[in-house]
Amino acid sequence: MAPEGAPLDEVSFSDFLDDYFAECDEHLIGVRRLLLSLETSIGRDAINRPVLDDLFRHFHSLKGISGMVEVRPAEELAHRLEDYLRALRTGGAALTREGLDALFAGTQTLEQVIAARRGGVPLPSIEAIADRIGRVLAAGAAGDVTAPERAAADHPGTGGARRWQITFTPSQELVARGVRVDTIRRRLSSAGEIVAAAPRVTAEGTIAFDFVFAGELDEASAAAWPQDGIQIEPIADAPAPLDAVPDPIEPLLIDAESTSSAGALAPSHVVRVDLTRLDDLMRNVGDLVISRARLGETLARVEQRLAAADWRAIQENAVTIDRQLRTLREGIMRVRLVPVGEIFRRMPFVVRDLARETGKRVRLELQGQATEIDKFLIERMMDPVLHLVRNAVSHGIETSEERIAAGKRPEGTIVLSAATAGDIVRVEIADDGRGVDAAAVIARAHAAGLSVAAGLPDAAALLGLICSPGFSTRDRSDRASGRGVGMSVVKAAVDELSGAMAMETEPGSGTKFIIDLPVTLSITDALIAKAGGETYAVPQGAVREVMEISIAALLQVERIEMIPYRGAALPVVRLSRLLGLAESPRDRLHLFVVGSGGSALGIAVDRIVGQREVVVRAINDPLVRVDGISGATDLGDGHVVLILDPAVLARTLRERPDRVCAAGGAGR
Amino acid sequence: MTSATVGAGLGSYILFNVTGTTYALPSADVRHMEMVEDITRVPNAPSFVDGVVFSRGQVVPVINLRARFGFDRAPYDLKTRLVVVRSSGRTIGLLVDSAREFVSIPPGAVQPPHEALAGMSGRYVEGVASLGDRLILILNLERILSFADPLPADPAA
Repeated sequence: MAPEGAPLDEVSFSDFLDDYFAECDEHLIGVRRLLLSLETSIGRDAINRPVLDDLFRHFHSLKGISGMVEVRPAEELAHRLEDYLRALRTGGAALTREGLDALFAGTQTLEQVIAARRGGVPLPSIEAIADRIGRVLAAGAAGDVTAPERAAADHPGTGGARRWQITFTPSQELVARGVRVDTIRRRLSSAGEIVAAAPRVTAEGTIAFDFVFAGELDEASAAAWPQDGIQIEPIADAPAPLDAVPDPIEPLLIDAESTSSAGALAPSHVVRVDLTRLDDLMRNVGDLVISRARLGETLARVEQRLAAADWRAIQENAVTIDRQLRTLREGIMRVRLVPVGEIFRRMPFVVRDLARETGKRVRLELQGQATEIDKFLIERMMDPVLHLVRNAVSHGIETSEERIAAGKRPEGTIVLSAATAGDIVRVEIADDGRGVDAAAVIARAHAAGLSVAAGLPDAAALLGLICSPGFSTRDRSDRASGRGVGMSVVKAAVDELSGAMAMETEPGSGTKFIIDLPVTLSITDALIAKAGGETYAVPQGAVREVMEISIAALLQVERIEMIPYRGAALPVVRLSRLLGLAESPRDRLHLFVVGSGGSALGIAVDRIVGQREVVVRAINDPLVRVDGISGATDLGDGHVVLILDPAVLARTLRERPDRVCAAGGAGR
Repeated sequence: MTSATVGAGLGSYILFNVTGTTYALPSADVRHMEMVEDITRVPNAPSFVDGVVFSRGQVVPVINLRARFGFDRAPYDLKTRLVVVRSSGRTIGLLVDSAREFVSIPPGAVQPPHEALAGMSGRYVEGVASLGDRLILILNLERILSFADPLPADPAA
């Protein structure tokens, strides 16, 4: 974030650390992806070179940035990993299973070190893993030419030329003069060969590029180079004095104009923004929306008193403000959206580890990684998705033997997909495993002391049981089933994000978890309804249809009221009864139709008074966190209007039909 | 309104009245006080919760102290106040009959509540102090805010 050349102390160190962690995340994600693709290279002579190059670069950067913020164990470990990668790249070592495992384990420890630094807890020891990497490095190199010799042999053409260490430090002034890293690169290439090139972050927090150049420098022209931010030092006879790579890496993915202290290898034209700043912006927009609503109300009063000619211009302006506000709001929301792939990319790593641990064969398919979702949601969905994927491997997928015996392919498949539908992002985790054993779930639920409804439970009821606190189908010591957290935690996370979870399962053929999440939180379009003298907001996304009905059309079926709807009967619940509100006699009601198919439900209110864009405020305190209410909003008068969650209301009704007639209110 | 909390050290309390009894909370726990406008009822919330209000952009639950202590509710009037307190990261409004005083009570003046004083609000009283001819009941905020508490004198619970 620091402008080029700015001293480090101009930026607060904690900001800087945030950048560091974000940068680490990017590199570690890259490393994981690359390691997985390396698996296919085991034992082969010709290892996929670009993969090694990329891996090397990631570790190199991790080393550099960790050193800069003085996370020494991370620096040291990244250095070891880089060493091994260098040996692999130069052909000094072959990639063995042990080597790959050491890379995986090293990466894992590196993650733990960085996570520990982030969490402010003591850093784990890296000694064991550093030794392990040292051993595979020694084993790989034995009996072959040593890495440096081989490296030198790779560059026969440069054997005789003089070597120079060239450092280029870009600055805004140089960029303005057209001197960029590409300029330097061209200049060097025309005079000789670039043996190595690597960016690094300097102690001042700026970026610099190190080149190892082999060739003859023309002293006259080289004398002017320091003005272009270039430093030249001759190198004594040694093969590759830098930590840098022994041959050119093309392309370096660097745009000198957009380099920043922490963005050495980040894609260009990307600004990293602290999420809290976006939250502040979003709150400001929220306040604007409320002010706009107040203006609307004032305007409505004025319109009654003045001639149209006097207020029409104001009203036109108000409409324009509306449109501009919406654009602004959407713009900020788009900034907050990130591809769901951020979650997905970690999953192959998890599946691979767990499959090896459990001795199962599992293939993971990722779909819809580009689907965008709010950053806030992404961060909170990481653990639930991780948990479901772990569950799919450890509980869903059978062993190869079991699968073969069942006439299936020996390799199980887990499909992790994401797709957008309107304001909802649907994430699905599907496996082709054994399915949920309803009898086992019921037995376990009984053992755990949960109340189980009589009869064969459907998928929704099964999911309800599995998600009950205290339920777990395996031993608590089963690592994969999740470190003391169960499905109840997954459900709590989804609920907290105003999401919904469903399950489909078929014995013998698999299980699918479906999580629907709002694309973004904060502001939503809502229908405003009156019931029992109170005002409520209902998110428009949840409403399929709005109808006006006559009370006379309601049919009483046992304790439930129904109404004919599209050739079937739609159960209707009166909101005033569901919430225990006073009911005023009336002939006609407005009806929201929510849900679909068998779970469709009509929620009857006295009347719908309008449609509004509302700012959603969270209701956090346990005293007032109530099923069926997802938040609160302010329609401009400072009065709290509760936002209903129709999906939860419908579910409450299915599970506790008695509540329809109960007088809600007192004493829970 | 919070000026008295600024620099409030140990022994600074805010006083308020509920059914004619004077109660006190450490002023360090009190964020500010508000007039009560309208409170939105929350269906299915505990019986001693009157609802929610917006306070400085936040949705804040309102505990009716009369109901919490097991007394009958009284209609809100011009003297009714919302004492907004903060405890363990939660922000909550306590609805009281009236409130306006800050006093300093030296630690030595606070006695443990004796049995005779333990009326309906007894379980929420932490100490008793006499200030001139007045008796002040010092409340235990955490117990008032606790959710898991069985509700005394509430047959519905």
